[in-house]
Amino acid sequence: MMNTPELDILLVEDNQDDMDLALHALQRGQIANRIFVVRDGEEALDFLFCRGKYAERSFDHPPKLVLLDLKLPKVDGMEVLKQLKADDRTKTIPIVILTSSKEERDLVAGYNLGANSFIQKPVDFDQFRETVKQVGLYWLVINQPPVIDDRKRLAGASHGDK
Amino acid sequence: VVAFRDVTQSKADEREIRLLTDELEERVIERTAQLRVANQELESFSYSVSHDLRAPLRHIAGFSKMLAEEYGAGLAPGAQHYLDRIQAGTQKMGLLIDELLNLARVGRHSLNRQSARLNPIIADLITILEPDMRGREVKWAVADLPGVECDPVLVRQIFQNLMANALKFTRSRTETVIEICATQKQEDGQPVFTVRDNGIGFNMKYVDKLFGVFQRLHRAEDFEGTGIGLATVQRIVQKHGGEVWAEGEEDKGAAFHFTLGAGKNREAKSDGAKAGG
Repeated sequence: MMNTPELDILLVEDNQDDMDLALHALQRGQIANRIFVVRDGEEALDFLFCRGKYAERSFDHPPKLVLLDLKLPKVDGMEVLKQLKADDRTKTIPIVILTSSKEERDLVAGYNLGANSFIQKPVDFDQFRETVKQVGLYWLVINQPPVIDDRKRLAGASHGDK
Repeated sequence: VVAFRDVTQSKADEREIRLLTDELEERVIERTAQLRVANQELESFSYSVSHDLRAPLRHIAGFSKMLAEEYGAGLAPGAQHYLDRIQAGTQKMGLLIDELLNLARVGRHSLNRQSARLNPIIADLITILEPDMRGREVKWAVADLPGVECDPVLVRQIFQNLMANALKFTRSRTETVIEICATQKQEDGQPVFTVRDNGIGFNMKYVDKLFGVFQRLHRAEDFEGTGIGLATVQRIVQKHGGEVWAEGEEDKGAAFHFTLGAGKNREAKSDGAKAGG
């Protein structure tokens, strides 16, 4: 589309094992090529808000999808979600919670904060791979994201003609 | 003077009573707070079981699978077999964790009694259980059940567990007959619900073990399961202030009966009385 450093997926995962399994599943599914991993909530926020060591990044090139674990060091997943969805510059980025838990209160809290999906990682590895593949397929291939200009317009909250 | 003294006396009594009441109330508040803390601890415990135990289990399942797939060709014949056993073990443990959590969730689910019709719930469950009936001849004999005051979400779980069990333990039968009906309890006219099958049954001398957590009457090779299903049934029935019991004979089938308490008026009493289980 554009000749820019576009990213398919930002994976927010602190656990090395989970990270390896998720990357394996994503590569096997052959849906996402450009995956970036951040290892805690603070780094996720720095990355998406283009600050700290990610200051050179631009809001014009958000990842097409964020896969977010809930239990994270420093800033937990719910807080990351809350900040992203509360900010006009980041609120349209699809965020899929990918977690071990299916506790009702996490589900409710996640959706209330604006999560786009909530997925419990299945124990069975085949099911896990299939789940990750379907998620990738949906958000990267089927779903139509807003184009950047529209995103800005939306963020500006002025609904003029295109 | 006498009248004056009487007033003082009754005033003193009143003060005494108020003091005692206040004290009692304070104690109730204190105990409630303690209970709340204990409950929260339990909740956070089941939360960490869910999150913390499932994660390493997923890693074992994932990496052993990757090992089999990527290096399976180079493995000695026996090694592949061990990998399969690891896979089977992780699946079993995953199921155990999920069912234990389910049991814990029933414990803290507050009872939401409402009038409910049971036949639609059962019809829906039969559809859900269809994969287990594939290639078998199964006859469901479902009577018209009376409407009942209960928590339909939880009662659905009772029927699901009992019906799944009935299907499981009739697997060796050429024709499976599962009967679901209701009768009236003699003492108080309460409905008694029954799920009866023509399966392998059980020896009545083990009837006390049926409802215990992790208690199983059959070898894992013959019938898969976690030994939590009937414990969950019992927990739900107790929550309703009802009773559950079983009858069976080896090779002659089994029947599970339960009541659901007598509705709003008697709920508080029976809840307390049955809590010991």
